[in-house]
Amino acid sequence: MLFNSLHFLLFLPVVVALYYLLPHKFRWLLIFVASCYFYMSFVPKYILILFAIILIDYTAAIAIEKAGDKRKLLYLILSLSANLLLLGFFKYFHFANENVAALLSLFGKEFHPINLDIILPIGLSFHTLQSMGYTIEVYRGNQKAEKHLGYFANYVLFFPQMVAGPIERYATLGSELRKEHKAVYDNFSDGFKLILFGLLVKMTIADNLAPFVNQVYANPSAFNSWQVLLAVVLFAFQIYADFYGYSTIALGSARLLGITIIDNFKTPFSSSSITEFWRRWHISLSTWFNDYVFTSFVTAKRDWGKWAVVLGLLLTFFISGLWHGAGWNFALYGLMHGVALVFEFLTKKQRKKLSAKIPGWLYFKIGTLLTFLYVAFSWIFFRSENFDKSTQVIKSIFYNNGLSFTAVNWSLPLFATLALVMLDVYLHNSRFDLKVKSLKSPYRWAIYSVLLFCLMALSGTQKFSFIYFQF
Amino acid sequence: MIKKIGIKLILLLLVVTGLNFIYTYTLFDADLKEKSPEAIAIKASVDSTDIYYFGESSNVTYRPDDSIKTSISELSGLFFPQLKVTNINKFATHGGIYKQWLFGMRLKQRKPGAIVITLNLRSFDATWINSKLETPLQESLVLTKPYPNLINRFMLSLQAFDNRSEKQREQEVIEEWTKTQLEFPFEAKYSTVKQWDDGMANGGHLKADGTWDTDKISLACHYIKGYAFNLNENNPRVKDFDAIFNWCKENKISLYLNLMAENLDYASDLVGKDLLVLMKQNRDFLMQRYNREHCVVVDNLELVSGKEFIDQNWTSEHYDYKGRMRIAKHLATALKKQFENNYKEAY
Repeated sequence: MLFNSLHFLLFLPVVVALYYLLPHKFRWLLIFVASCYFYMSFVPKYILILFAIILIDYTAAIAIEKAGDKRKLLYLILSLSANLLLLGFFKYFHFANENVAALLSLFGKEFHPINLDIILPIGLSFHTLQSMGYTIEVYRGNQKAEKHLGYFANYVLFFPQMVAGPIERYATLGSELRKEHKAVYDNFSDGFKLILFGLLVKMTIADNLAPFVNQVYANPSAFNSWQVLLAVVLFAFQIYADFYGYSTIALGSARLLGITIIDNFKTPFSSSSITEFWRRWHISLSTWFNDYVFTSFVTAKRDWGKWAVVLGLLLTFFISGLWHGAGWNFALYGLMHGVALVFEFLTKKQRKKLSAKIPGWLYFKIGTLLTFLYVAFSWIFFRSENFDKSTQVIKSIFYNNGLSFTAVNWSLPLFATLALVMLDVYLHNSRFDLKVKSLKSPYRWAIYSVLLFCLMALSGTQKFSFIYFQF
Repeated sequence: MIKKIGIKLILLLLVVTGLNFIYTYTLFDADLKEKSPEAIAIKASVDSTDIYYFGESSNVTYRPDDSIKTSISELSGLFFPQLKVTNINKFATHGGIYKQWLFGMRLKQRKPGAIVITLNLRSFDATWINSKLETPLQESLVLTKPYPNLINRFMLSLQAFDNRSEKQREQEVIEEWTKTQLEFPFEAKYSTVKQWDDGMANGGHLKADGTWDTDKISLACHYIKGYAFNLNENNPRVKDFDAIFNWCKENKISLYLNLMAENLDYASDLVGKDLLVLMKQNRDFLMQRYNREHCVVVDNLELVSGKEFIDQNWTSEHYDYKGRMRIAKHLATALKKQFENNYKEAY
C-alpha cells in the first residue's frame, strides 16, 4: 500500500476515525493492527521478520536493564548481532556471494554463488536501525526499557514511518505513542495540509521527472551528453522530491493521529557545503549515524587526534553508503561524501580565510552550486544499477557529444523542476503547514487551490514506487 | 470543531468543483487524446455515423506482402457506399472495453443505425482475460468513467484501476487452468487445461524419424490453452456482452456481434476433435444467448481456411486479404437486411 494510492487514501481516514472513537487504552491495539495490515499489503510473510526484530529487541532491552555491567554488554551484542544478521542475510547475502566468487576467481578458484530466492523485506534497513538505536540507548542508560510489548511493537511498526523513516528515537516516538491524543482541529488541518503537500511533491514533481531520468539511466549511451547531464541533474530533484514527499506524507499521517514525528528535510539544496547538506538531508539517518557510529568511533579513538575524525568520517559514510544498497556503487557514493566531509574538515581555516576575501553572498552562492553539483554527481552511483552502469553514465556525459538529441517530452520535467525550486525558495527553512498558517485565509485558499489543481491535473500518470522503499 | 471541519470540507468541495471546470476546459482533451483516443474518435463521429465497427487486431493485416491492406470494416463498408461506417479499433480489446466505449457514447442528435462488435472466441479464455495487456487497456478507460473529469484524472495518477501485476495475472491463469473442470458431451481423456496441456507436451506429435516434433507440440499446447474452456454466464466477458446487449436494447440500436473465424483446421489437426467440440459448443452458447431481438450473431467461426490465417505458428485471428474479404462479405450480408436500400454488391 503506497502512500500515493487510493488504497492508502481510504485506509488512513478509517484508521484516524477509529483511533479517536476508541478509548485510549485500546488505541495501541488499533495502531498495531493497522500497521500490520499496512505492512502486509506489500509481502505478508515478511511481517514475521519484523515480529522477530520486535521480540529480540524487546527482550534484550529488558535483560540489559536488569543485568550488571558485563552481562548487559553481552545482551547488547547479542541483540545487535541478531539485527545485523537478519539485515545481512536479506540485504547482503547475494552481494557477499558475488564478492567471494570474484575474490576466489583471482586465485584461479571457481565458486558458484549460491542462488537463494531472497527479496529484501520492505523497509528492513530502517526497522533495524530504529530498533538497534533503542537497545543502544537502553544500554547507555538514556532510555528505560519498555515493558509493554504492544507499545514497543508500535514503535517499530508505526505505519506512517515504518517503511522509509524518519528513523525515530524511542524517547520521542515512544512517548508520543503513549500519550492520550485528543481530536484537535489543528492536528487535522496540519495533517491534511502536509499530506496534500507531500502528495504534490511526490506525484506532480518526482513522478513527472522519473520517466525521463529512467529512460536515460536505462540506456545512457543512446543519449547526447547534454541529455545525460540533464538526467543526472534532474535525478537530484527527483530523489529529493520523492523522499521529501514521502517524509511529508508520513509527517501528515502521524499528525492526523496527534503524533509528532521529526522533519527529515530542511531545504537541503540551499546548503553551501556537504557538511551543511547532511544537516538538512535525511536528517534522521545522519543523526543516527552520527550518534551511534561516528561519535562512538571518535570517542574510542580520541588519542588519534584529528585522524580519528578523518577515519571516523570515512568509515561512517562508507557504512552509510552500504546501508543504502548492497553494491560497490553505493559504497563509493558513501565514500564520496566521506571524502568531501574530510576535505571540509581539513580545510576549515583556509576556507574561512577565503570567505573573508570575497563577498559573503558570492561565497555562499558558489558554495551552494558546488555542493549541489557534487551531490548530483555522487547520485550517479546511487541511481545506477551497479558500478559498470555508473561508469557508463559518466562516459556518456563526456563522449556522447556527437549524438543527436533524442526526442523527449520536456515540458513536464521542466515544469516539475521549476515548481520544486520555487517551493524550496518559498519554504526556505520552514515547513508547508507552518508557512501557510501565517497567511490570511483568502491567500491560503488560493495556494491550496493551485496546489490541488497541480496535484489532481498534472501528476504523473505512471506509478513509481518511492525510491527509498527499496532500502 | 465538527462545524469548522464541515465548513472547510464544503469549501474544499467548491474549490474542487471550480478546478474541475477549469480542467475540463483546459487540459482534459489533451489528456483524453493521449490516454483514450478512441473516446475522442467516438465523440467526434457519433452524430454522423450510420454503422460503427468496434474491433481489434483481427480487423487489420500484419502481413507486409499482403497485396490488399484493406481492413474488414473498410471492406464491409464498400457494400454500403452511401453510409458512413466508422471503425474504432484498438489492439487486444474485448467486451469489457467495448462496453465502456458504448457507455461513454453521448447520443444527442442522432443514433447510429447499427453497431458491429467483434466477438472473438479467444477473448473469453483465461489468458486473454488475465493478459498483461489488460493493465494499459484498463488505464485507457479511467478518463472516460462517469465521474468528474478532474477526479478521473487524479484516479489515473493514483493508478486506481485494475493494474494487478503480471505475476498476479499469471497466477490467476494457472489457477483457472488447474482448477476449472472442462465439460464435454462425452467421456474425454482430460478434465482440465493443465492435464490436457501436460498430456500434449509429454505425448504429442512425433516426427517421421521418431523424435518429438516440438514445434507442433508447442503450437498444439497454444491451441489447448487458447480454446479449451466452457462458456457460461459467469464468464466476465459474457457479463460484458450481456451489458452491451442490454445497452443496445435500451437505446434501440441494432447490434451485430461479429464472431471471428478461428483456425479450426489446425485445431483439429494439432489437437483433435475434442477441442473442436468445445469451440463449437462455445459458439452455440453465444448464438443462443445473443442471436435474438435486436441482435444478430454473425457466425464466421468456420469461414476461413487454415492457410488464410496470417499467423501459421501461433493462435490468432489475423487473416490474409482473402480471409478478411470473406468475413467482410458475410457481415455485409447480415447487415443487408437492415440496410437493404443502401446495399450494393461490391465483390
